[in-house]
Amino acid sequence: MNKKEVFKLAKGFRGRAKNCIRIARERVEKALQYSYRDRRNKKRDMRSLWIQRINAGTRQHGVNYGNFMHGLMKENIQLNRKVLSEISMHEPYSFKALVDVSRSAFPGNKAAIPLKKEGLAILV
Amino acid sequence: MANRRCFQTATRYLQSIKSLTAFSQSLPPTSTHALHQSLTTKPSYHIYDNNFNNLYAQSARFTRHFSSRPTDSEDDDDDDDEEDYESGEEEEGELGSEDESANLSAEDKEKDAAEIGYTVIGPLQKSDRVFKPYEPVFAVVQIGSHQFKVSNGDTIYTERLKYCDVNDKLVLNKVLMLGSQTQTVIGRPVLPDASVHAVVEEHALDAKVIIFKKKRRKNYRRKNGHRQELTKLRITDIQGVEKPEKITPLKKEKKENPGKVAVGA
Repeated sequence: MNKKEVFKLAKGFRGRAKNCIRIARERVEKALQYSYRDRRNKKRDMRSLWIQRINAGTRQHGVNYGNFMHGLMKENIQLNRKVLSEISMHEPYSFKALVDVSRSAFPGNKAAIPLKKEGLAILV
Repeated sequence: MANRRCFQTATRYLQSIKSLTAFSQSLPPTSTHALHQSLTTKPSYHIYDNNFNNLYAQSARFTRHFSSRPTDSEDDDDDDDEEDYESGEEEEGELGSEDESANLSAEDKEKDAAEIGYTVIGPLQKSDRVFKPYEPVFAVVQIGSHQFKVSNGDTIYTERLKYCDVNDKLVLNKVLMLGSQTQTVIGRPVLPDASVHAVVEEHALDAKVIIFKKKRRKNYRRKNGHRQELTKLRITDIQGVEKPEKITPLKKEKKENPGKVAVGA
């Protein structure tokens, strides 16, 4: 029952694309093509999101993403970006330890003093 | 993996919110000096072991394709990822019994394959008290090529782990980082003394993914389904960090209070 499958996949589509088979079949095929492409894009998007989060976390401590990753690579720390972003969100003290390790391995930021002291940085 | 992973990250986020509020204000020291020296030797040993296995496997595969060998037809069915180990195992299997599958022929090679997948199989558990209440300790574990930030009581979905059944205890060797309320330990790259215990909950298939390819105006259309094989692990214990002391439960204090009131009155 191909029509049945098509209408099942066409749930939530706009206008006649969910009701009329000729239009639904076209839209469903396009949707499946997009999902094939986007399964590959999702990996890129997630990595980009992790990098943004790590960048935000390290800049709170006065280090930017590039120098932070360079310091970690020098110290042979093989944590990947997914896990680093999770640590930066949920384990702030452990993340500060990582940033300190990276800063000691590769100095080159604003003399280890962040400009605006907000939140955790006040305790430093 | 996507559907199950989303749910898993949502539950972990809620758990971690609880853990954040309980953190003390003292900054944790990092203990990395002793680890650095011990760890530089380990990766070099591991690389040597890999090369040795690959060389052995290549020589074994070349000999298998000669027409003079009568038992070639049985060995052609095995493919999958771990070809290197299975080709070495098949040679030994031919000498022994023919009915054994390639997995069971050499226990040492099973253990090597499991270690490279960074799991070590412990005995099956029966009436073991392995499931503890939640502790605010996390570890970063690597299984295959994926890394996970795990805590006590978490479930993670990994690629299908061979050589382990349901209700098997595993020890995950490759621990990259440990953290607790008082201590953070960072490995370079691995922590040698740390270990994470897990139990295999199920061997499952992921939700079906439809692979649809189409080239327009060229009369080309392909539709396939795919279900990835997964293993669901439940993390039971993390070892290698200082864990926070347990707080005594409130029930004992409540029993003491009416006793004190009676004495006072």
